[in-house]
Amino acid sequence: MSGLEGIPVHIQSAPRAVASGNTQAILAELETALQALLETGREHSIDLRSLPLLPGELDYLQHTLGTGEVRVEVDALGKSEVQETAFRGIWWVTHCNTADDVMAEFIEVSFCPDIIRAQSDDVRESLDALSVRLAGEPVSNQNCRGEGEPL
Amino acid sequence: MNRRLTVAEQLAKQGVSRRAFLKFCAAAASLMALPPGMAPAIAEALGKRTRPSVIWLSFQECTGCTESLTRSHTATVESLIFDMISLDYHHTLMAASGEAAELARKQAMEQAGYLVLVDGSIPTKDGGIYSAIAGVTNLQMLKETLENAAAVVSIGTCAAYGGIPKADPNPTGAKSVQALMDEGLVPRKPVINVPGCPPIPTVITGVLAHYLTFGEIPELDNLGRPTMFFGDSIHDRCYRRPFYDQGKFAKTFDDEGARKGWCLFELGCKGPTTHNACATTKWNNGTSFPIESGHGCIGCSEPDFWDAGSFYSALSMPTTPLDLAAGAAVAGAAIGVGVALANRSKKGAAKSAHQSAGLADLEK
Ligand code: SF4
Ligand code: SF4
Repeated sequence: MSGLEGIPVHIQSAPRAVASGNTQAILAELETALQALLETGREHSIDLRSLPLLPGELDYLQHTLGTGEVRVEVDALGKSEVQETAFRGIWWVTHCNTADDVMAEFIEVSFCPDIIRAQSDDVRESLDALSVRLAGEPVSNQNCRGEGEPL
Repeated sequence: MNRRLTVAEQLAKQGVSRRAFLKFCAAAASLMALPPGMAPAIAEALGKRTRPSVIWLSFQECTGCTESLTRSHTATVESLIFDMISLDYHHTLMAASGEAAELARKQAMEQAGYLVLVDGSIPTKDGGIYSAIAGVTNLQMLKETLENAAAVVSIGTCAAYGGIPKADPNPTGAKSVQALMDEGLVPRKPVINVPGCPPIPTVITGVLAHYLTFGEIPELDNLGRPTMFFGDSIHDRCYRRPFYDQGKFAKTFDDEGARKGWCLFELGCKGPTTHNACATTKWNNGTSFPIESGHGCIGCSEPDFWDAGSFYSALSMPTTPLDLAAGAAVAGAAIGVGVALANRSKKGAAKSAHQSAGLADLEK
């Protein structure tokens, strides 16, 4: 149920985008994390839900980080959106449930967020599934449009 | 008997990919207020844990705690967590009723090591006759059910500290689960208190998820509350804190200060002495929390909050027995465990100085 999202609430008094102690601290944390990523390859992630942020502060962060080149939509237990920010290596990751409510929101610092990568257990299963498929399939030289002669 | 599936196996059986599982663990880490880096540890732990059996007992309560939980909005995480457990008895939610329901509870109790959730306090006066289910008093039912339990989670301020049923003059002799254990009236088991009137739904599920995932009691404060959610006071994390620090206070609910969103301390906010996750986790799917709506915190996750003076008198008012805490708050000193303790020891005094929140308080 996404009833709450359906209520058109507009906060009028909140400033559009405000820089504050919170936002500056997060940007500084990201700076440190980017440096660590370059030097040691260590990834970092900030849980936006764990911070007492106000709407204006979130807007400010989003505005400051901007939008980069990559946007990936993942469909796993509901949609997830992975958006690279204008600062390459900093990603804005939003996980939604099947009712499109936001479940968790992170800023991640990595070369490629984990949620995009295929997981090795899944790849192993795919390999098995494909092998079974190949073994069981009647062999033919028909292409996918059904053209060509059966062997 | 069938081997119970591990949580990861259960999810795999439902066609949930590892990628989706990873996402679930990331959301779960956020829910459990763990650092995001803990997601792989959660995944690993869930790969080993089997679905534990859970018995939920509702005693002297208003069903607000169950409402809070079942009306929560992060459907996927919650429903997956409920897939993770086998909720064998909950008299409000279960389809069975009457003897079939009681039979379900008895069957679940046959295998030791289940988790007991309690909401509501337990009446003890006159043999506990003031609340009974299927002819069994709450006290008796708790005693029986705790016998083979691994641990108990007291959900809501009533189960954790007695709450509103225990408020002065406590006509039913209501007691918390912990108090009954301390008096030897029920078997002693590890207790996790998840207070709040009601508790924040994601805090309930977060604590449950933590126990179910790692199979151990999380770190608790001196009042038995998990520090991951109750470690900070509302005041520590309040977005109005800068106004408090600058001494900018709303004096009435509709003055200039109130319109500008200044601190609600003088209007009775109990944020400085209240430990809960409202300021960060927020309510209604992360929409806001009471102070964002312009009303001070009433301290609902603290013992005896109902008897601790008017909701609308400032902590600093010298007439209240809480002035010790308020003095520290005004001086800007660190408010923490010490104050909570001070308040607890003052509860007798608070009771006798109980004042009701009348119009006069509101018009102050
Ligand atoms: S007194 Fe209340 S409103 Fe003021 S800063 Fe503390 S918690 Fe926030
Ligand atoms: S703000 Fe205070 S009274 Fe309100 S729900 Fe949170 S802890 Fe309870």
